[in-house]
Amino acid sequence: MASTLRLYLTCIRNTLEAAMCLQNFPCQEVERHNKPEIEMKTSPELLLNSVLICRNEAEKCLIETSINSLRISLKVKQADELENILTKKFLRFLSMRAEAFQVLRRKPVQGYDISFLITNYHCEEMQKHKLIDFIVQFMEDIDKEISELKMSVNTRGRLVATEFLKQFI
Amino acid sequence: MAGAEGHVEADNAEAIITRIEHKTRKIESLLKQYKPVEALKTALEGSPPMTRDERCKSANWIVVHRAIMAIKDVDGMLSSLDPEYYDILMKYLYRGLSTGDRPTCDQCLRIHEKLTVRAGLGCILRCLADTVNTERSTGSCAKKVGSF
Repeated sequence: MASTLRLYLTCIRNTLEAAMCLQNFPCQEVERHNKPEIEMKTSPELLLNSVLICRNEAEKCLIETSINSLRISLKVKQADELENILTKKFLRFLSMRAEAFQVLRRKPVQGYDISFLITNYHCEEMQKHKLIDFIVQFMEDIDKEISELKMSVNTRGRLVATEFLKQFI
Repeated sequence: MAGAEGHVEADNAEAIITRIEHKTRKIESLLKQYKPVEALKTALEGSPPMTRDERCKSANWIVVHRAIMAIKDVDGMLSSLDPEYYDILMKYLYRGLSTGDRPTCDQCLRIHEKLTVRAGLGCILRCLADTVNTERSTGSCAKKVGSF
């Protein structure tokens, strides 16, 4: 189990290292505008093939690149309803504070839980390998966070129920 | 342009599909003889370049998939494979990874790691950038590597 995670993260890391080749490219359609081409998708010559890396049926990662921007969309493993709700709430919490993360996208791409948008400006200000480290670390930590949240919800539920039902003993 | 290509494709498609069927039989026999490396080489050799027909691509993918799943010794396989097939193999690995089927993905991830070490990041980039062999829909639709 752990080895597939390691392979999955290695694959994503290698693909990101290859795909993160971004340069400044002013908009072709509107003068004096500079837009992330992966979001506009108006000119096919500026886009590379998108790549979908699945670890299994539940977890996958979509990497789409263009000349000046790169979009990474993640689908996190959700084993049951509780994890479903926790993941949604937690990732929504993060997405709403996307400004603080800079590379986070405010809304995830359709069909995924969270999305990152990295532009050439991010690559100029920050180091490429550190950005990739951040993304991979994020993927590792997400699973831990969700499990911790689930455990704390279950513990609290158990404590509350015990206390409440004591009055009926 | 699309019309003329269509006629050429129709003739070629039948020929290619027949070739793929021949290949399938050959590969089945190689796999029975416990020679998965040769099977993979045969599967990759006849990959139809510049074919737009989905059936040919799918048929070839099924053949390559069979050979990939039969590989047990990844290092040995990669050392005996010619470098010219690295790019083609990488494209098929990404197609395998996009399927989402657990054993396929496990095997593809295993091979992907070793292949990247051997072939380098250039191999991955050539997959991403290839427009000749891969379907590219015009307009605002996303393009998928998995159509090789």
